[in-house]
Amino acid sequence: MKPSTIQVVCTVAGLALAALLVGVWVHGAAARVEATRATPAEKTAAVAAAADEGYCTAELKKILKRVLTSCGLVHRDRGRGCQPLEAKSVAAMSGNDFNALFRPLAKRAGIVQFDLDKAELDDAGRTLLDQTFSDQRGASYFLVVSRASPEGSMTHNRALSEQRAEAVLGYLKDKYHDPDLEQEVGLLWLGEEYAQLDQEFSQWNRSRAGAACTSAELNRSAFLAWIDCRL
Amino acid sequence: MKSNRTAVSLVVVSAAVGALFAGTSTYDFIQHLDRQVHAITCTYVPGLGAADASGASGCFAVMMSPYAAVWRTSTWGGIPIALPALAVFIYLAFKAIDVLWRRREDDPAETRYLLAATALPLLTSIAYFFISVLVVGVVCKLCAGVYVASVAAFVAALVAHRRTPAPQGALPWGRDLGQFAVGVAFVAVPVLLYLGLKPDVRGELGRCGKLLRPQDTYSTRVKLHSAEGGTPAIEVLDPLCPACKGVHDRLHATGLMDGIDLEAALFPLDKECNWMLGESVHPGACAVSEAVLCAGARANDVVTWAFDHQSELREAAAKEPASVRVKVTQAFPDLAGCVDRPEVKARLNKALRWTVANSLPISTPQLYVRGNRLCDEDTDLGLEYTLTQVIGPMAAATPQKPAGGSRKSAPTPPPLPSPQGVAEPDAALAPPAPAADAVPPGGEPAAEPTAAPAGAGEPAAKPAEEKLPPPADNAAAAPSDDQQPGGGETNPGAAGHEVTP
Repeated sequence: MKPSTIQVVCTVAGLALAALLVGVWVHGAAARVEATRATPAEKTAAVAAAADEGYCTAELKKILKRVLTSCGLVHRDRGRGCQPLEAKSVAAMSGNDFNALFRPLAKRAGIVQFDLDKAELDDAGRTLLDQTFSDQRGASYFLVVSRASPEGSMTHNRALSEQRAEAVLGYLKDKYHDPDLEQEVGLLWLGEEYAQLDQEFSQWNRSRAGAACTSAELNRSAFLAWIDCRL
Repeated sequence: MKSNRTAVSLVVVSAAVGALFAGTSTYDFIQHLDRQVHAITCTYVPGLGAADASGASGCFAVMMSPYAAVWRTSTWGGIPIALPALAVFIYLAFKAIDVLWRRREDDPAETRYLLAATALPLLTSIAYFFISVLVVGVVCKLCAGVYVASVAAFVAALVAHRRTPAPQGALPWGRDLGQFAVGVAFVAVPVLLYLGLKPDVRGELGRCGKLLRPQDTYSTRVKLHSAEGGTPAIEVLDPLCPACKGVHDRLHATGLMDGIDLEAALFPLDKECNWMLGESVHPGACAVSEAVLCAGARANDVVTWAFDHQSELREAAAKEPASVRVKVTQAFPDLAGCVDRPEVKARLNKALRWTVANSLPISTPQLYVRGNRLCDEDTDLGLEYTLTQVIGPMAAATPQKPAGGSRKSAPTPPPLPSPQGVAEPDAALAPPAPAADAVPPGGEPAAEPTAAPAGAGEPAAKPAEEKLPPPADNAAAAPSDDQQPGGGETNPGAAGHEVTP
């Protein structure tokens, strides 16, 4: 073979090899792009969402929804402000059953205790409130269920438990300046008439954990918990 | 003279080996033009050994570095340096075969040209070796193969040339120029073919989602880079996520930051604070995120420190998650009084709830420019091109919207996002707008009865609500001293994306 022919053969062969490799590879990538365009893959990544834990039973959601509704959280056209709910009609169930709905929240909830016939938060109460409120995680709603011990009239105790609930909300507003509070905090005051806490709850996280706790003392309280439920 | 034939044969072999390494690298690069995830080869023997699918190898770091390709702002991914390297090695191999075939291995003109031709990959390899070691901080195995092949080819050509007799007469410059032109063609043809055949992805940039509620109502985003009048961009990141560091580093290496006003939205993949995870991907990331929020104007220092110390922090967290909190407060003692406080935890929670309100994928990193998410593939190989497009031609063609996400560019924040976020389209439970202004003062009874059972007795007197102050930056007590983040180990930027397990 002539030297010049050899040179041409080598040049053409080398060029062809380089072009072939690149051409096949790039064409393959382009074909895959076209295939993807023709049949887009379904998105598989999970999407960020609020929490919805297993304890969010239909009953609990019903109560939550009623409380939120009564507080004006559910309808855009109404200002915030909780309507008094007749405690017994919050849920068509016994007080014990009502309290049982919250048992799964044992690690999540706090019980802020008050002095007799008082609705002012003490230091320990504020600390527990801070701890509980700052542990929102994925919860959408902060439920405050306040009670009163049986001393005094039913009307007085209902008003007293309302004041306790409002004291909690007022503290949160002052401390956190969080507009979301308006959409997140549901207040329910039960007075003395419904779902009094039994001694089991004295083992929960209380603001006066070191002190003895009678049933009456336990119910001079506001039960606080973020509820990890979506409605 | 038989030994000179051996030397030229060694040029052929060395060039073939170089072509194998450069070809493998080119192939890996071109694979990514399909905008999908691919494992890449990272071995001293191409074809053997497991491919790197994690993005943790030095080969990945080098491939994603700005030195792996040229013209990255002009064409998606740019032109990989490995492509002309492949062409040059093929040229050298066939040139040496040509010399052997014509039995001109003793021709000083031929061996001199071979020597000059092999000097090109040698010089390029030397330059890239130093860039790799000194700038990128890693040496990839495929690159090492190319370096060795380049040296071997040059040495073999040198030996061959030294064994040839001194040239007689004038140097054949004309013939050399002709051969050089052929060499140029060897490079130009594959490059033009590459440019001509590669898929056009312009229509797909920035189409991987958008922010539905970009407003930063609670000041949970932190500034990473300020550019007056720059395009607003948000990097959704976990400070302990290697892929986030990779994107962050590449972003700053693009040379385009002068036109980008960059904020970070914290999305720690740590179940201590992130309820969306079954298990922590990066334990300790919540503590670092709290420190970032606490640092206020110095947030970027904390992010940089966390990126620089990622390996150390992740190792410490694997043994004891709480140790990260200790380390971050040791590095930034002035933040010790802020980290772990309820206020900063609540603020971090707001940051996470921002991801809920925007229905973001549970994945880091994510990069949003003008509120549009850049696809993952556009934040690695295609980053420079994509950014150039979205802050340049595409931006010019699109009216600027406040939805870009900057606090400054959101003149009238819309109603607050629902606590349950847009993922929960239950219209009946849509939250009201902040009600402070809607409540009549003076303790009037609250609004009309609702769907709930009517209350018994007197309507409760609703105390007048005070007008809420603007959201306070409760936690961002920015310390005044100017502590610098500690230096750190070099951490190759992995470009994989962290997704919740």
